[in-house]
This record gives sequence, structure tokens and C-alpha cells, in this order.
Amino acid sequence: MAKNKSQSDISKLSFEQAIKELTGIVEKIEQGKIPLQDSLTQYEKGMALIKHCRTILQKAEQRIEKISAEENSEDR
Amino acid sequence: MRGFVLDQGLRIDIRAVLSYNRSGSLASRCRFYSNKMQNKAKIYTVSEINLLIQSVLKSNLPAKIIVQAEISGWKQQYNSGHCYFLLKDESGILPCVMWSSNFSSLRFSPEDGMSVLATGRVDVFLKGGKYQLYVDRLEQLGVGALQLAFEQMVRKLRAEGLFDDIHKKPIPTYPERIGILTSESGAALHDIVDSIFHRWPCVDLFLYPVPVQGEGAAEQIAAAIRDINERNEKLRLDVLIVGRGGGSLEDLWAFNEEVPARAVFESKIPIISAVGHEVDTTIADLVADRRASTPTKAGVEAVPDIRDVLAALSNRQRILNNDIKRRLELAQQNLKTILASAVFRNPLLPVRNREQQLDEFVGRLVETAKELLAVTRESLHAAYEQVVKIEPHLLLAKKTVELNELRNRVIAAVVAVANSKRMQLTAQENRLAGLNPKSVLQRGYSITTAPKTGLLVRTLEDIEVGDFLITELSEENLIESRVTKK
Repeated sequence: MAKNKSQSDISKLSFEQAIKELTGIVEKIEQGKIPLQDSLTQYEKGMALIKHCRTILQKAEQRIEKISAEENSEDR
Repeated sequence: MRGFVLDQGLRIDIRAVLSYNRSGSLASRCRFYSNKMQNKAKIYTVSEINLLIQSVLKSNLPAKIIVQAEISGWKQQYNSGHCYFLLKDESGILPCVMWSSNFSSLRFSPEDGMSVLATGRVDVFLKGGKYQLYVDRLEQLGVGALQLAFEQMVRKLRAEGLFDDIHKKPIPTYPERIGILTSESGAALHDIVDSIFHRWPCVDLFLYPVPVQGEGAAEQIAAAIRDINERNEKLRLDVLIVGRGGGSLEDLWAFNEEVPARAVFESKIPIISAVGHEVDTTIADLVADRRASTPTKAGVEAVPDIRDVLAALSNRQRILNNDIKRRLELAQQNLKTILASAVFRNPLLPVRNREQQLDEFVGRLVETAKELLAVTRESLHAAYEQVVKIEPHLLLAKKTVELNELRNRVIAAVVAVANSKRMQLTAQENRLAGLNPKSVLQRGYSITTAPKTGLLVRTLEDIEVGDFLITELSEENLIESRVTKK
């Protein structure tokens, strides 16, 4: 349940946030200062973050939208 | 001879030229010819006359000449890169040459019909037999004013701190939504879009079309920047790219004006400028948070390369895998070490040890109790023996006899003492009775007392005639008498 929750949280992260969190996890595990159980949880989260980052990168929709100035015309 | 007039209003007096030449080497050679052929007109070689003209020009023209004219017959030599052209006005032409070294610093492409200011020196091209302007600098006329305005604006805004690094906002590392502010029809739009998608295809781009040159373009660019900033809560743009393709200084002018510069400076969204060619620097470039030298370089400045990022991600994944693997191995090793320890090999050992210890205690306790019991029994027995030896009934009988004896002795002694004391008392009583003065009264003696003095009457002096006397007889009988004669 907790796992499901954290994974749905991950899918909401922006690429920048995901990378930031991933960096934190890699550092934590590298330093070995967290308990083993935690590091396993963090590892799983790290993998989920990497997957999420890849998904974002592979999305590649190449969208171009046009912003119309008109919708704000009353300001002018 | 009449002087002639140059553009600058410079008058050259031919007489002055001649007088100069008398002192020069060429002049002396001329004299040599004139001496030799005294009666004829002077005859020069071509080189001589060209050299003469060259020296005349050199010594009489200022070293730096500025000419305002129109370009005509512009030609750049393909191999050498040197440029040959004419400067002309309504009534004449001036042949010009510009060496490629000078041409390379030009910021515009000279064309026929273009009004320019040409700076250089006039000299004779001996081989061509013509004088020409050797042009060091060429300025597009009218652009000079723009350039001045540009420099003034740079100075003003720099003094205000608009270009200071401290105001430069960082560009997000991984932008997700990028706004592009340029002309919808320009080539710059495609250059920018391609350069971004080529590196970072996972981004959403938003085009905000604005005119990028001409009247009112600067104001519209500024308004667009402000508009996007105001609406960014909804638009959520990470970066804004403001750009256009290359062109003349006039074409780029919208990006040199103060209004868009201030809008760029005030923008909360980080702005990347991508204006013109590599060599063009606009005010917008100076005030923007980052500058792309051309629209095609916008992507490099705005977004990371997806290949690098994917590689970095794979690298992270490898590191994570290695780390967790090492961590697990270590934990497993620790577990093994712990399982191999004595506690886990024979987990009941501590219990057994305690049990044994307990058994030992119990044994010792029983032994001690037994010993204690034996010792107590022994001492009890010894006490009994002693008690038996004492024979209390005999002792009691003996003590009773002794006691009776003592009592008898005490009684006898007390009786003896009482008798002795009684005899002593009687003796003393008898002696005391003999000593009583009144005892003599019974033998007929009496005692006379004078009540006046209370004293016994012993002599006559003790009494007076008329005194009452009291005389005590035996048996305490008293008689009263009065002295009648003495």
C-alpha cells in the first residue's frame, strides 16, 4: 500500500524533481548511513525514479502550441 | 596656376609642390634632364611622372581622408578577398581598394548604391597609372547614428546594472515547457525549434508570435514578455527564448531598444536571447539571462542533450545497483558471521551452564545443611552430658541443708544480739536513774526556784524579801512560799 502510494507520487514528479530525489537516494545509499531495510526501500524508489525519468524522456511528443495574445487582449 | 579643390576644401598650390621638389632627389634629376636638353620641353618617363605625382599627392594631402559617397561597382576578388569599388557622386568617381584584412572587420555587406563613409588615404597605384582611395574603414551611412545610439544605450543600461551577472537568473537544467518569442514566419522559429527538439525532444514548446522588425516591433516584443510573465501561473513556462535571424543592424534594431531590454530585465521567467548572427550583439543579448549566439544555438543554451541525460541515468542505475549489491553482500556476510558464532551453534549452552551452576549450588547447600545439623546435634549431646553430670536433685538437697543451717545460725545470732542489747539497756537505765537530780527528792531533798528569775535559789543573793519561791518536792509536788526574813 505504501509502495503503491510512493509510486503514484513519483509519477507526478517533474523530471527535475525526480533527478533531485534520485541524486539524494544515490548519495544516501553510497554513504551507507541508513539501515539496510531503508536502503532497500530507497533502492526500489531510486529504480522507480529512473524508470519515471526514462518515461519522461521517451515521451518525446515534440509538441508546439501557439499562445495567442488575443485571449489577454483586454489587458492592452 | 590655379589650385584645385578637394572634398575637404583643401587647396593645393602647385607652386608649393614645385618648390618642394627642388630640394628632393627627383627634382635634381629633373634638373639634370632640363640641363641636358635645355632648349626642348622636359621629357619624363612614365615611372618618373607617376612617382612625381605620387610624391606631390603624398606631401600635400592629409594622411587620413574621409569621403562620403555612394558605392558603385563593388567587387570582391575571390582568391585574395580584397575589394575593389568606386565611390561616386553626381559629378565624379573615385576608385577605391579595401584590403581583405580591413574588410573582415566590417559588420555589413557593402552593396552598390549604398551610402557610406569611407576612411583611408589617397595614393597612386603606379602600375595602374591611377590614384585611388585605400579604404581602411567603411561605415554604412545612417547606421553610424544607430551605432551611436546603441553604444549610448549600452552605457546607460550598464550604469543601471541591467547587465550585471548578479541579476542573471539560472536556466533550469531540465526545462519542460519553453516559450519561444519570435516571428511566426521567420526561419529563426524553425532553427530554434529544431535545435531544441534535436537535443531534448521531451519538451513542450509554446510559440508566442511577435513581429521582430519594423515599426512597433520593440514595443510588441516587450508587451509579449510582460504578457507571458503575467500569465505564467497558467502557462508554467520554465524558460523564454526571444530571438530572430540575422539581418542588418536596422533589422535587428528592435532588440536594441530600451523597452524590450527593460521587459527582459524585469521578466521572472529566465530569458535566453537568440538574435542574429554570431557577430551580432544586441542590447537584448546583454540583458538576457543567457545568450545563444544564433537561433540555431538556442537549443544548446536552453536544454540538455537527451543522450547525455540518458547516459547519466544509466550510470546512476549502475551505481545504485552496485551499491545495493555491495550492501546486501555485506549484510549477508555479517549474518554469516553472526550465525557462525557460539551462541547460534549451541543456543542452549548458556542455559545448561546456568543449570549446572544451579546444581552445584544445591549440592553445596545440602552438604552445608547436613554439616550444620551434625555439629548442632553433637553440641546438644555434649550439653546433655554436662547437665547429667551436674545431678541437680542432690545439689538441691545439699543446698536446703546449708540453707537451714544458715537460717538457724542467723536466728541464734539475732537472739544473742537482742539479749546482749537488752542487758546493756537495763544497766544504762539503772545508771541513768541514779543520775536523775530529782531522784534525791525522794530522799527528802527539795529544789527551790525563784519564779522572778526562773533560776534555782542557791545563795541569799538570789532572792529578796517578799519574793515568792516555788519548792519542788518528790512526786512532782509543788509548794509556794514567801521570803519573810533572810
